[in-house]
Amino acid sequence: MDFASSEHADRTAGLAHTAPLAVKILIAGGFGVGKTTLVGAVSEVAPLHTEEYLTRASIGVDDLDGVNGKFTTTVALDFGRITISGDLVVYLFGTPGQERFWFMWNDLVNGAMGAVVLVDTRRLEVSFASIDFFESRGIPFVVGVNCFHGVRDRTAEEIRAALALDPQVPLVLCDARDRGDGRDVLLALVDHLMAGRSATSV
Amino acid sequence: MRHWTEGFDDGDADEQLVRPYTITSGRTAPERADLTLITLVTTLPEVSTQAALAVRRMQPEHRTILGLCRESKAVVEVAAKLGLPVSLTKILIGDLVDSGYLWARSPQPLTRATGPSDMTILQAVRDGLRKL
Ligand SMILES: Nc1nc2c(ncn2[C@@H]2O[C@H](COP(=O)(O)OP(=O)(O)OP(=O)(O)O)[C@@H](O)[C@H]2O)c(=O)[nH]1
Ligand SMILES: [Mg+2]
Repeated sequence: MDFASSEHADRTAGLAHTAPLAVKILIAGGFGVGKTTLVGAVSEVAPLHTEEYLTRASIGVDDLDGVNGKFTTTVALDFGRITISGDLVVYLFGTPGQERFWFMWNDLVNGAMGAVVLVDTRRLEVSFASIDFFESRGIPFVVGVNCFHGVRDRTAEEIRAALALDPQVPLVLCDARDRGDGRDVLLALVDHLMAGRSATSV
Repeated sequence: MRHWTEGFDDGDADEQLVRPYTITSGRTAPERADLTLITLVTTLPEVSTQAALAVRRMQPEHRTILGLCRESKAVVEVAAKLGLPVSLTKILIGDLVDSGYLWARSPQPLTRATGPSDMTILQAVRDGLRKL
């Protein structure tokens, strides 16, 4: 950021070292697949909840109606935090279940490191739109298969086929309530991101 | 098991709008490109008694933000703690950034573009996650 006043610069000098860097991971998937549960399982704080008004302006339509005409909808978001070190904090965002809102909310998706798409084997189709979204935007993601009640009624290969998943995209079985499982899904994403980078940079 | 989010109601945005925009003096301002959900904001030490006086004249929400951000917080965390929508919170934070009370640190743009700092961050995230 650039700030004009030199007095301000003096006061912010040194803060670059004390304020950590923030990165963002999205936890996506259809309704009730366990997004909030996963965020809560790995977050160091209870998931926090906030809301955003999505306006017509945010979908790029000029609006001259004034305040009353401006608001189209409210979407809810929950998020958690993992402090990696004094220099680095990871924010996890459980995306709103209705993907159609994501297109109106650029700030949610912009700058995301990557995403986890959670699926429920009994209702794979509710997560199709999430997969489509990240594929079309070129945002790297992994699939976490949330095994509700420990039900592993389908093999990973069957689920891959049903999701028509690119062979490159990792798929991990998990219990969204379990911290260790949540960690492993996130690690799969980070490994996937690192693999993608070393592949393109050589 | 009842989930903690179950009581939340997404509807009826209209009802809640009146008070929030009173806080911002009616401003529904355009999005500030420099403030994202994970922009970290930190309260700067007050420089003068004049500044301290100005703080006293602020909206209570402004003062709450300054208190919250003595330790760096993401914009979205401030919104959650205030119980205000993100866009309103950004307006209030923007006021404080403009008047020099808050310092905002933009998040690292982690794109597909390759770069050593990118790789360093990913490695740090991986090491940190392993300790969970
Ligand atoms: N048995 C079992 N229940 C789970 C599991 N994961 C989530 N649940 C429960 O399933 C319900 C939905 O989970 P949530 O985490 O709220 O799902 P969500 O994706 O955030 O849901 P929305 O935000 O409404 O789209 C909750 O009641 C959870 O407690 C799991 O692995 N096993
Ligand atoms: Mg949820």
